[in-house]
Amino acid sequence: MGGYGDVKLLRDDGLRLDGRKIDEMRPMEIEAGYLPAADGSAWVKHGLNVAVAAVYGPMEAHPRKIQRQDRCVIDVRYNMAPFSTSDRIRPGYNRRSREISKVTAEALESVVICERYPRSKIRVEIEILSAEAGTRCAGITAAAVALADAGIPMRDLLVGVASGKVEDIVVLDLDKAEDNYGQADLPVGILPNTGEIAFLQMDGDLSPDEFNLAMEYNFKAAAEIHDIMVDALKRRYEGGEN
Amino acid sequence: MVALVPTLLRQELARLAENDARLDGRGRWEARDITLETDCLYNGEGSAKVVWGDTIVYAGVKFEMRTPWPDRPNQGSLMCGAELRPIAGRKYEPGPPSPESIELGRVVDRGIRESGCIDMESLCIVPGEKVWGVMIDIHVLSDQGNIFDACALAAIAALRTATVPAERFDVGEDYTLKVNGTPIMASFTRVGGRYVFDPTEEEELGGDERIHITLGDEGHLHSLQKGLKGVFTPDEFAEIFDVAQSRCVELRKLVANQEGN
Repeated sequence: MGGYGDVKLLRDDGLRLDGRKIDEMRPMEIEAGYLPAADGSAWVKHGLNVAVAAVYGPMEAHPRKIQRQDRCVIDVRYNMAPFSTSDRIRPGYNRRSREISKVTAEALESVVICERYPRSKIRVEIEILSAEAGTRCAGITAAAVALADAGIPMRDLLVGVASGKVEDIVVLDLDKAEDNYGQADLPVGILPNTGEIAFLQMDGDLSPDEFNLAMEYNFKAAAEIHDIMVDALKRRYEGGEN
Repeated sequence: MVALVPTLLRQELARLAENDARLDGRGRWEARDITLETDCLYNGEGSAKVVWGDTIVYAGVKFEMRTPWPDRPNQGSLMCGAELRPIAGRKYEPGPPSPESIELGRVVDRGIRESGCIDMESLCIVPGEKVWGVMIDIHVLSDQGNIFDACALAAIAALRTATVPAERFDVGEDYTLKVNGTPIMASFTRVGGRYVFDPTEEEELGGDERIHITLGDEGHLHSLQKGLKGVFTPDEFAEIFDVAQSRCVELRKLVANQEGN
């Protein structure tokens, strides 16, 4: 955020710079079962973002101190490839990716039926290959499809989606320019069938009314994304495989 | 279990080798299906994706502007690194770069560097002040065997499609990076007592040492590496060297065909 005021993000005709309407999300494509080595996996292209997620497990939880007697733990690693952004990122974990990994793991633990796998661990690896704002949401969506692909029971398919504010207007799904020069960003993880929220972050400046509108956009988009996720899983398993 | 499975697997691989057969029915020098895609990542100045059997790797090229080394004021630099991310397979753990990933990156790096395909002086912007640093990052997403060859192929294919982002750094117009040649790696692993080309992950698990050979356009050697426990004879090397020559020609054609599109 910050630095806004001098960059124009909305056109005179009310559309956004890339021609989208205020409440229109960038195109999304999903493929389930992208990685042969994994127990479950997914590839998500959302606008110019590309996220790949893999699930390994359930497996024995190591080290033993992370084990929970009544449920499994979910170990998430969100990582951006060095070539995913305009300036190269030094390989390795940083504070941002650690935080995103932590809250994503907690969101997924709220959705997976963890009691089914006591003392186990499920590894979720999220790799961002191309980043243009919205990678944590693409990562959450990819992780949910990968978990479903791995056959892990869940209460719902968690959907990652974001809205924000540019030039005092609430818009759905910020792109890079809107994220850099906009006024707010509200990424959430939504369970479309139950209407619950498992992931929530926000930065910037939103009035209560703007927050409500942004949430309305998020829920509307989550339903759309959910359909694309289900469709990807159906394509993977139609024909009776597994 | 860790000891038992490879023992049974080794017995099976040895039995197959006696009949000159492989687990997946391929010939000894036969590769799996390979597809190469370039310019596939939006933010990479050059990028490539290689699907080699069930192994999947991406490579991306980034440029940075830096001051030259004092002893080489008119030369830029090239660096190639590989990351074996935990996404690549069950056996990979998070943590600092493993010796395996460092070896992988360095062997690929040497093949490209020593082939001389990048003229380091062409990366100079202002002598003594500003030069380009070219970074090739390789990301292994799925390791199902023979990642070395897949990574080397992705790296050179990405490099050959790279655009120097001069506009972004305010030093003129963007231009295509000049790459003089296509160094290619061919690797061989001892499976069931004899060398095979392009082992699967299972063959690697029940196999022994591996030899990596990088050849330039003229068939000259630019990098060699023996990895893992085991020994070989000069005759064995002569045999795989011959195969490497023909495999490298084929793989180089794959890169050229991709560029022709």
